[in-house]
Amino acid sequence: MKYRIFFFAVLLAGLWACQPEINEFEPSKGTADFTTYVAAGNSLTAGFADGALYRSGQENGYANLLAKQLESVGRKGEFKIPYINSEDGVGTAGTMLVTKRVMGFSTDCLGNTSLAPVFANPSASQQDLAVLIGTPVSAEGPFNNLGVPGAKIGHLLAPGYGSLNPFYGRFASAPGNAIINEVAALNPSFFTLWIGNNDVLGYATSGGVGDVITPVFGNPGFGFAASLEAILATFEATATAGAIANIPDVTSVPFFTTVPYNPIVLQDQSLVDQLNAGYAQYNGAMQQFGLPYRISFALGANPMVIVDASIPVPPGYEMLKIRQITADELVLLTIPQDSIKCAYWGSQKPIPDQYILTSSEIAKIKAATDAYNYTILNAAKNHNLALVDVNRVMKQIAETGLIVDGVPFTNVFVRGNGFSTDGIHLTPQGNALVANLFIDAINATYNATIPKVNVSEYNGVLLP
Amino acid sequence: MRKSFILSILLAFAFISANAGGYQVRLQSNRSTGMGLTGTALNMGSASLFYNPGALAMLKTKTDFSLGVSGIMSKISFEKFASDYTAETDNKTSTPFYVYGAGKIGEKWSVGLGVYTPYGSSTTWDNNWAGKFLIQNIALQAIFFQPTIAYQITDNIGIGAGFVYATGKVDLQKGLNYGPDATAALSGSASAMGFNAGVFVAVERLTFGLSYRSKIMMDVESGDATFTVPASVGTTIPANNTFSASLPLPANFDFGMTIAASDKLLLAFEFNYVMWGTYESLEFKFDQQGDLLNSINPRQYKDVLIPRVGLEYQLNQTITLRAGGYYDQSPTTDIYFTPETVTLDNLAFTLGATINAGKRLSIDLSYLQISGQKANKSYVPDNFGGTYKAAAFIPGFGLNYRF
Repeated sequence: MKYRIFFFAVLLAGLWACQPEINEFEPSKGTADFTTYVAAGNSLTAGFADGALYRSGQENGYANLLAKQLESVGRKGEFKIPYINSEDGVGTAGTMLVTKRVMGFSTDCLGNTSLAPVFANPSASQQDLAVLIGTPVSAEGPFNNLGVPGAKIGHLLAPGYGSLNPFYGRFASAPGNAIINEVAALNPSFFTLWIGNNDVLGYATSGGVGDVITPVFGNPGFGFAASLEAILATFEATATAGAIANIPDVTSVPFFTTVPYNPIVLQDQSLVDQLNAGYAQYNGAMQQFGLPYRISFALGANPMVIVDASIPVPPGYEMLKIRQITADELVLLTIPQDSIKCAYWGSQKPIPDQYILTSSEIAKIKAATDAYNYTILNAAKNHNLALVDVNRVMKQIAETGLIVDGVPFTNVFVRGNGFSTDGIHLTPQGNALVANLFIDAINATYNATIPKVNVSEYNGVLLP
Repeated sequence: MRKSFILSILLAFAFISANAGGYQVRLQSNRSTGMGLTGTALNMGSASLFYNPGALAMLKTKTDFSLGVSGIMSKISFEKFASDYTAETDNKTSTPFYVYGAGKIGEKWSVGLGVYTPYGSSTTWDNNWAGKFLIQNIALQAIFFQPTIAYQITDNIGIGAGFVYATGKVDLQKGLNYGPDATAALSGSASAMGFNAGVFVAVERLTFGLSYRSKIMMDVESGDATFTVPASVGTTIPANNTFSASLPLPANFDFGMTIAASDKLLLAFEFNYVMWGTYESLEFKFDQQGDLLNSINPRQYKDVLIPRVGLEYQLNQTITLRAGGYYDQSPTTDIYFTPETVTLDNLAFTLGATINAGKRLSIDLSYLQISGQKANKSYVPDNFGGTYKAAAFIPGFGLNYRF
């Protein structure tokens, strides 16, 4: 008898001991209603990455990750995404269609092979890619993810935008629709909006020559502020809660910060002398014009010579609209590296304007970004929306780095973990980070407790 | 009557408490285990060479042999902050053991040899769990060999000291952020020396014990590091590397006393002061690509004082029953807490029994149950945190033979 009680005590104690359950987390929708979630935006919202729209990129997009997390706080139904039925995907490079880029080996003009982004399928035919992007999927709609690569804020309101942009055209419910017209069919109770990046990026990624920055003021469809109000008004026809994200500064993004301003490395004094002799005439002319620009080279790393159309040389001297780049100016990731290495770009030949953001161009971009972000901030306040301060976090990543779940985020190209091989769009880990920023903002604004995403469950840039 | 007595003992000690967190394992005698891991002021025959070599001077028989083993069955649960994500460990049962032999040489001197395992831990998380970049699995094991000599100064006072040769090994694996299957697996061994010393005093119905165990620094040199990474980074992160690292086994300062409340009932009280403060960081140095791979990982442990209570009740000639408990504070901080060593504030209670099988042989049974208090902990350098809760139950079995 007396042993039996001892035995049972031990047994009971053991059973209890081995179940250290924790269930602290209580999901709550707070004051929001997440039943039907619709996401609008551009390529970032679409899940575009690595220079293309492709299936797993779309699945790992922040909007889809957020949609999954919202399930525990009442989101219902499938979060429909207009999937591209391909893992290589499709994107645009100039007038060409291309697949996504993956890390691979490429050999430069000097015969050196190094790890670099290469097309997943370099031999994909234009026709096949055109089919991929051109096949309508409208019948599978209505779609909850209305992110359209390339879209600017005004495009969301533009009737017939689908005929200009096949990324929208493929899922537009009617050919004449504007993106924002897709919202009504869904009756969203909750929405997210991240738009405006392309309104500066179009200008920025063309080196300030291929596009114009969207003005803040102007009618809906033209000016940033009025367009934003029109978009929000459409959502608010049914939605009682939403989140709006702001625009990261270009100086946080590897596309603009990876290539150094001074990649012209000279190790031979005779070459230095030769270059300096070559620019003696330029320097003399500048002195004569009373302009401060001088070009000089020395042993070691030298700033590149670039085209700067804003240099006020007298008429007839347009070819002298060149100068050396300064340390605070930005070189785009798209600059042909082989031309620098083997075709004297940056030393004997000035770098074309389209690969450079000059100080004045950067100032314009920053002014526009600040104005958009100020507009977004005010809109969030006035409409009681959650403000997702992506700009602040991207700045932190660029300046000090940010670590989450043991994943270190920096703005280093490829190894920074957050940005994909195109240097602008997000990796799955970057999307997880952004999804958590949305969740933090939504939780704070609506007194909700949406569970956060595990960043470590997702990949950064995969290496061969 | 007897039932209610046992129950009242259980209740009385279930919530009193004390122990040794970190990766210390004090399961070096089943008699001690049964009594809340007290032992510094107990005359336990040959087992005293671990708890207090001073008590070894008081051997009651000419020779005394003990051996035993415990099975640590533990589980750790984790819930990530601001998330419904949960994970739990799938820890292998670890089996600390002890073997002691001691004998008298003449009237005053005793000598003994012990082989035991006072440090170790085994934590196995899923390879894909949320904290995989901190740790996937780790196993630490140290075996101590301790020749000991003790001298009985008077009938009441014994002193003793032991020389410790420690040998240990560590195996750990963590994920690397180079794709889904990238890992770093480290495996190394070390040996080092130390000592312990103690004084034991018996005055009528009281005993007192004071004992010190030195810190032992386990320096792993040329451990094997295997990196599983994509081929394209093979030149920057070589697949096979060697590493060095140092793990301290902290010093202990123990004070205990016992009171024979009656002929049948013995009460034991004890404090262990464990100098975990020495564990400031875990540093890994690699022989190749050290600039890239070396790391200094803060741990910032702090010293802990563990109060323990135990009792022993001699039921009859054949059976002795034991119970005890302790409260062991975690030596970790809230911000440098890593899931490699999940050590929480522990509330533990213990039970034990000895069954005499004749005059010379006895069988010791013990049971230790630890319920880690739920705690919110983070490892700030990796920005990873959550709520941890741990539990362990540890049955033990031992034999004692003396003549």
